Amino acid sequence: MRIPFFFMFVSSPFDGLQEHAEKVKECSWAFQQAMECYASARCDTFDDHRQEVIRFEHEADEIKRRIRGHLPKGVMLPIEKFQLFRYLREQDGVLDAVQESLKWLSFRSNAGIPESVEKELFLLVDAVIEPIEELANMVGEARKFFKSFSEKQRRKVKDIIRNLRQMEHDADQREHALIQKIFANETDPVAVFHLVRLAETIGGIADHAENTADMMRAMLAK
Amino acid sequence: MAWNIGANDVANSMASAVGAKAITLRQAILIAGILNIVGAAFIGSHVTDTIRKGIVSTDVLNDPHVAMLGAFSALLSASLWVSFATWRSLPVSTTHSIVGAMVGFGVAMGGLSVIHWGVLGAVVLSWVISPVFSLLIGFFMFKLIIRVVLSKGDPLGVALKRSPWFIAITVFIIVMSFLFKTPLGKSLALNTPGAASIGLILAVIFGYAGKRLIVYKLDESEKLRLGAEAIFRRIQIGTSCYVALAQGANDVANAIGPLAVIYFLAKSGTLGATVPVPYFLLAFGGVGIALGIAMSGARVIRTVGSRITTLSNTRGFSVDFSAATTVLVASKFGLPVSTTHAAVGGVMGVGLARGFEAVNFAIILQIMLYWILTVPVAAATSMGIFQFLRWLIL
Repeated sequence: MRIPFFFMFVSSPFDGLQEHAEKVKECSWAFQQAMECYASARCDTFDDHRQEVIRFEHEADEIKRRIRGHLPKGVMLPIEKFQLFRYLREQDGVLDAVQESLKWLSFRSNAGIPESVEKELFLLVDAVIEPIEELANMVGEARKFFKSFSEKQRRKVKDIIRNLRQMEHDADQREHALIQKIFANETDPVAVFHLVRLAETIGGIADHAENTADMMRAMLAK
Repeated sequence: MAWNIGANDVANSMASAVGAKAITLRQAILIAGILNIVGAAFIGSHVTDTIRKGIVSTDVLNDPHVAMLGAFSALLSASLWVSFATWRSLPVSTTHSIVGAMVGFGVAMGGLSVIHWGVLGAVVLSWVISPVFSLLIGFFMFKLIIRVVLSKGDPLGVALKRSPWFIAITVFIIVMSFLFKTPLGKSLALNTPGAASIGLILAVIFGYAGKRLIVYKLDESEKLRLGAEAIFRRIQIGTSCYVALAQGANDVANAIGPLAVIYFLAKSGTLGATVPVPYFLLAFGGVGIALGIAMSGARVIRTVGSRITTLSNTRGFSVDFSAATTVLVASKFGLPVSTTHAAVGGVMGVGLARGFEAVNFAIILQIMLYWILTVPVAAATSMGIFQFLRWLIL
């Protein structure tokens, strides 16, 4: 039976958005494992972890396409449709940055990480994982806001966004500390180039997380 | 025909309440059934009049046999088309079908000149206006709820405090529609200020009684889980009744209009322009709708009610309120409008107020398409059946 009243309700893009954010989170954990594996001399599963990240990226891509494909012309959302798409692109950008870091790492697959910079590197890795973990949380809370329109809930999301910005700032500091350390301790030009570029690409992950938060802020604007 | 209305259109009024878990399926069917009968019997007569004699000139109905055949073929063709549409899952309106069928019979009988184009124009215009009107009410109602309730620091408390207002507005409109123009209101012979004050008094009483009832019924776990939605869950029971009432008032004409023609001819042999539609016929239509609800409405409500998870109580309230007000106002003017389209307008209004996670407006184009299709198809079928019967019987 086809009653026009009910055919107005299409599946919500927020389900997909949340699912996508979860994928990004899982992917970041796989990234962390891959990094640890690369640094450890005994670990030989780096490629497996990298493949896992690539697999997550594909799955997330599928979710992204599904969201875009299921919003025909004339669908009304709590926010502008294109705002939603821009948000999604940024959230997807996080994944691309993660993948990019691992790709760069794999170009020198047997070099390992010099002990002198290892500590700083993992501080940076942790610093970029944190904001990613916060993304899924942000989407969930924002969704609650679009349902309840409560001012309290809106403040909650804004707090998360502020938090994310701070996290990005912290990650920046770590990146600078790491690069300083690299120049101070390494003499091999090839190693320096590889490590500095690595620090920059990992730092870029947090930038994408921050951009995502900024897009969310725009969606919350009254 | 009444059965069809009951089976299909009831979803508009009750599914949102069932989907939002304001009432159970069984309660929904019972309430919808009773209120459809009440609405049909007490408010429905104007619309029935319009369908019975407003669209087709009564001049052509002088020959009682022809008129009877015509009314019968109109009823049959509208039923056929609606059944076909239900089977093929096409979004058509029972209202549009019967209007189209009446036009078809009129044209077959006396050519294009017997149609009251003015009345028909008003009816068609009301089809365009009713979703727009409903959209506006839905939009402003939901915006109002956001502003005065949802965005506040303590939505639950505010919702409770303001609940008498929301109940009172609903009650006021229902009372007004009862008092104006219905035989009941006429027998009381009230003037406008008198009716308005009665409406106001009843609205205030119901508003406060309603609040007491909500406070009494509300338990703590529900408060915590749902917040302000819990209050609107209670109020929504009221608005769903409101929709069912309005639906009875408006849709009964679809089935009873032509039937009334047959009834009078069979009884008196002539068709006067001023004979009123008797209560029992209207009530009969209401019962028909109620039977339709009872027998297959349950299935419809269940499937659609569970599918709409996004329709929370505040949204449901806004949609119900706008749809019912539109339909009731239209009934007052004697215009047969589609409950479905009024409800669609309400959803669009709430959607424009950014109330839904995703709502597809493209359906409006589809509705327009079938709307344009329904009238000629029902008209042509009605003409065909009429000519065939005339050849067969006369």
